[in-house]
Amino acid sequence: MAAHLSYGRVNLNVLREAVRRELREFLDKCAGSKAIVWDEYLTGPFGLIAQYSLLKEHEVEKMFTLKGNRLPAADVKNIIFFVRPRLELMDIIAENVLSEDRRGPTRDFHILFVPRRSLLCEQRLKDLGVLGSFIHREEYSLDLIPFDGDLLSMESEGAFKECYLEGDQTSLYHAAKGLMTLQALYGTIPQIFGKGECARQVANMMIRMKREFTGSQNSIFPVFDNLLLLDRNVDLLTPLATQLTYEGLIDEIYGIQNSYVKLPPEKFAPKKQGDGGKDLPTEAKKLQLNSAEELYAEIRDKNFNAVGSVLSKKAKIISAAFEERHNAKTVGEIKQFVSQLPHMQAARGSLANRTSIAELIKDVTTSEDFFDKLTVEQEFMSGIDTDKVNNYIEDCIAQKHSLIKVLRLVCLQSVCNSGLKQKVLDYYKREILQTYGYEHILTLHNLEKAGLLKPQTGGRNNYPTIRKTLRLWMDDVNEQNPTDISYVYSGYAPLSVRLAQLLSRPGWRSIEEVLRILPGPHFEERQPLPTGLQKKRQPGENRVTLIFFLGGVTFAEIAALRFLSQLEDGGTEYVIATTKLMNGTSWIEALMEKPF
Amino acid sequence: MDCYTANWNPLGDSAFYRKYELYSMDWDLKEELRDCLVAAAPYGGPIGLQSAPSCWTVLCQDRVAHILLAVGPDLYLLDHAACSAVTPPGLAPGVSSFLQMAVSFTYRHLALFTDTGYIWMGTASLKEKLCEFNCNIRAPPKQMVWCSRPRSKERAVVVAWERRLMVVGDAPESIQFVLDEDSYLVPELDGVRIFSRSTHEFLHEVPAASEEIFKIASMAPGALLLEAQKEYEKESQKADEYLREIQELGQLTQAVQQCIEAAGHEHQPDMQKSLLRAASFGKCFLDRFPPDSFVHMCQDLRVLNAVRDYHIGIPLTYSQYKQLTIQVLLDRLVLRRLYPLAIQICEYLRLPEVQGVSRILAHWACYKVQQKDVSDEDVARAINQKLGDTPGVSYSDIAARAYGCGRTELAIKLLEYEPRSGEQVPLLLKMKRSKLALSKAIESGDTDLVFTVLLHLKNELNRGDFFMTLRNQPMALSLYRQFCKHQELETLKDLYNQDDNHQELGSFHIRASYAAEERIEGRVAALQTAADAFYKAKNEFAAKATEDQMRLLRLQRRLEDELGGQFLDLSLHDTVTTLILGGHNKRAEQLARDFRIPDKRLWWLKLTALADLEDWEELEKFSKSKKSPIGYLPFVEICMKQHNKYEAKKYASRVGPEQKVKALLLVGDVAQAADVAIEHRNEAELSLVLSHCTGATDGATADKIQRARAQAQKK
Repeated sequence: MAAHLSYGRVNLNVLREAVRRELREFLDKCAGSKAIVWDEYLTGPFGLIAQYSLLKEHEVEKMFTLKGNRLPAADVKNIIFFVRPRLELMDIIAENVLSEDRRGPTRDFHILFVPRRSLLCEQRLKDLGVLGSFIHREEYSLDLIPFDGDLLSMESEGAFKECYLEGDQTSLYHAAKGLMTLQALYGTIPQIFGKGECARQVANMMIRMKREFTGSQNSIFPVFDNLLLLDRNVDLLTPLATQLTYEGLIDEIYGIQNSYVKLPPEKFAPKKQGDGGKDLPTEAKKLQLNSAEELYAEIRDKNFNAVGSVLSKKAKIISAAFEERHNAKTVGEIKQFVSQLPHMQAARGSLANRTSIAELIKDVTTSEDFFDKLTVEQEFMSGIDTDKVNNYIEDCIAQKHSLIKVLRLVCLQSVCNSGLKQKVLDYYKREILQTYGYEHILTLHNLEKAGLLKPQTGGRNNYPTIRKTLRLWMDDVNEQNPTDISYVYSGYAPLSVRLAQLLSRPGWRSIEEVLRILPGPHFEERQPLPTGLQKKRQPGENRVTLIFFLGGVTFAEIAALRFLSQLEDGGTEYVIATTKLMNGTSWIEALMEKPF
Repeated sequence: MDCYTANWNPLGDSAFYRKYELYSMDWDLKEELRDCLVAAAPYGGPIGLQSAPSCWTVLCQDRVAHILLAVGPDLYLLDHAACSAVTPPGLAPGVSSFLQMAVSFTYRHLALFTDTGYIWMGTASLKEKLCEFNCNIRAPPKQMVWCSRPRSKERAVVVAWERRLMVVGDAPESIQFVLDEDSYLVPELDGVRIFSRSTHEFLHEVPAASEEIFKIASMAPGALLLEAQKEYEKESQKADEYLREIQELGQLTQAVQQCIEAAGHEHQPDMQKSLLRAASFGKCFLDRFPPDSFVHMCQDLRVLNAVRDYHIGIPLTYSQYKQLTIQVLLDRLVLRRLYPLAIQICEYLRLPEVQGVSRILAHWACYKVQQKDVSDEDVARAINQKLGDTPGVSYSDIAARAYGCGRTELAIKLLEYEPRSGEQVPLLLKMKRSKLALSKAIESGDTDLVFTVLLHLKNELNRGDFFMTLRNQPMALSLYRQFCKHQELETLKDLYNQDDNHQELGSFHIRASYAAEERIEGRVAALQTAADAFYKAKNEFAAKATEDQMRLLRLQRRLEDELGGQFLDLSLHDTVTTLILGGHNKRAEQLARDFRIPDKRLWWLKLTALADLEDWEELEKFSKSKKSPIGYLPFVEICMKQHNKYEAKKYASRVGPEQKVKALLLVGDVAQAADVAIEHRNEAELSLVLSHCTGATDGATADKIQRARAQAQKK
């Protein structure tokens, strides 16, 4: 069970159970003992769906990583390949199968394509002469993976690059398929809003797919009231800025992968006396981050500056609770105290972990360089000096700070100025090539293609208009008790989330002008419901919006949406879906190209 | 011997045939040879004669088929391996031949008709006799069939001669009918159909329910109920009496059930109606009678009456209909192209569309496409008008049928209506409409489908046409580019060339310069091609940068030759740094000038390199070479990073006033930092210094700051 998935307004455990069932059904088709050969990229996402225990229940005895040459020896009846439909993987599989054929006793081979079977791949297997070796060739439509009670991701790393750079819509097709699966489980979503070219395409595909399914009338009462599809390139700015929420900072500094984070072990050394600090653990500490942990759920979306006070308050409560034992006089009271111990100890453990992480982060955030970087970011976002070469960036290059950091800043400046003046742009580019190496010219080209870095055309800077209309910059931000989403970046309100907020109230009609400046069309579609399924809203009942970020979403944006969901008079609760959970660093990294 | 060739007969010019005697035969045959079955084996094998069986039939036991055949007075059972003689138990003596045999509809019973006019009836296993009958007619019957009803204990056989029909069973007497014409018997599940040139009749055992109700002077509850209802219609109080009678016996439910059941067995709608009316009347006096049986009977009868109509001519009985199921009945209607009736039945019975109306419409459409005299246009329109978006109809199936009939154009028109591209595209490919398939695949957004079509097209078209097709389909083009990037790099280049996409060509050659080329000349040449492409793309910056890189590569090569060490593929910045670290300051300077490294960065570079070398002397000299464009705080910082406080202090004094406090704090001179901050009257600086005041040592300084603050506030 993954209880934390069912806490939200929409029970995402239903989805998880549905995909688990599908997996079990497939495994049972291949009777007998099994070995799974994994496309390594899939192991992370699969971990969120099915632990090893589930696989073991279905006679999976061995697991290997997909590699060339022959498979490791395994005394099993079935060998199943779990792979993404990619041609290069098919070549490896063929190599495996052919060398296995020479080995002697035959096994049954199967292949499970995730998330979709591919004619192209099967053709390749056929050309390599191994297609006939597979008894079952099936697809496992694991498009949207539940990460938390209100969060779904496709974990498709290349989605942004494919869609916006390479004109490859595969991930959009998968997104549409994923949305169809959601609708099959949670009912037809009556209203679809969208902004951006990709959003338009996904909506079109959905409408098309719906037509393909006519006949199987969906008779589930709709859980979602509307769907908002947003292109990442409508808001290129937000991911570039440094996230300032607790979870966002963990991701910025250590990188969260499939809801796990690996942390330096020093801070987590067991504090036992007599150890003398001899045996410091050397292996990175791996922690799962989701709302299953009560304390984490409470602080994850807070501005980091507000986390300290919560933690110390918690510490007081917990130690007070432990002190209670002195007041326990009667046997009944002692018994009650003891019964609460496991919960209290768990809370204390969790608090210790959170405090350690907070300390790790604080070491970074209090550094002067972090402060300087943040200052520059905030200047750009509030529109100060965006049109000339920035001293800090120059110094960063001169001191060879990490290239990604430099690129994030330059791109941020470009986006906040609707493109840089040609002279400024060329200067930065030249500096980067001279310092980090000429090969990065390919990366720069990619950034330009994606619109992250560009010369200003028409000599007009639209950003101030957008900033003012959408109130992207808030001077009086309250980090402790926020009143506006801008707290997640300590001043900057993420554009994407602002769009969602304005859509729910008062509606996009009020910002037509800005919508026209932002790239791509904006649209609205309705999916008519049979009369029996139309909702009669109770007074005071919130709407549920599924917001789908095509091309990735950051934890800070998620935090901002959760903040909106929790507003008492907000009127809308959000469930968030995306092609990939990302941050500025992983985003830029995916766009970089290294020719050697 | 004189004319040995006398019996030679020519056939054609060169061949002769002859026939000579082997034996003279003197067989003691009772019948003529033509009445026998003959078996003879080759290679001079034996000859067997057997008189032909007088009759035979197929038995089916335990899913195995046997043949029972009669030869003279004997019966044999054949299966795939053996032949054994069998004797029916209790068979009357004196039989010299069996003239007819009949197996019941269920294969459970067997009847034998002998030449003595005797009929034996028993189980098909030949283990048990049920009954026998002697009809005393020795003429061989034309037909003999069983007439029984499921779940009835009565067994009877119907025997037909030219003009006579006899029903015999377990009774001493028989029923006889006269046949006016040649007739034929069709055994059915629950009776026998008899048809002739002018009539079609049904002979069956009267069902129990009908018997109960209609038997003369019947007092069965059903009979009373029917009577009650009739009286009620006459507005006679007798209705009440009858009803009371049933109710007193507590048999009203049974009465209703009897009437419903009997209605099912009636062929005449009038009779069906009066029985159902009686049932309905009876129902009124029952509290909880489940309505299903009544409703279903009404529906079933309506369907049955419709198909029994002579226009359709399917005389199904209720029992047959139930056994057959509605699906099979619909199939039969569809096979007979009675589409409208089939659809009416589906709609009337409210069958789910996928099983009902859609399926029938799809069949209709498949038939429609075979009407060659109607134009493609009209057929497609007619089909779409009828089918519309009916769920469960596969336009691609219909299109496949049209294609099968050679009507490709029609198939394409029909595919237009197919919403599932996964079905649409493969068929289009099969019909060699690849370009149309491509645009359909693109519409669907399913990239895998697009790829499939693309690879198909690639094989089908020549390269030029293929590229032209791609050119008109941007989405397909970018997908194909992706494919080439991983699979066929050369093709990728051709694609860019075709589109005059010089920018991408440039990038392509840059990649090539790293990936494909090992030798420096090759790399430079690849870069030159890239630079040319960038010029064509009017990307001045990239072209210049590429030329710089070529220059740098050559230079790095020379450096490696002259100085040794690793220079290739270092960035310009790192090349200069490496030179400084190696003590080649002059060359470093030269390089920086040649490539116009901005002053500020060069200062940072030198500063970092010299500090790395811990060449403090050179660093100091450098710091004094001219006024630092980056100020002196970086000097302090970098010395402190190398833990050289002594050197750091030298530069701290040169730091400009704005950063002075910071610098002093860095070198740990809190007291002086406090003085400067107080002098600057800068609140932020004061707090900064205060935060650096630790413990007792800086106690005095902290006090000083507090005092200064207090003073500032007073003013």
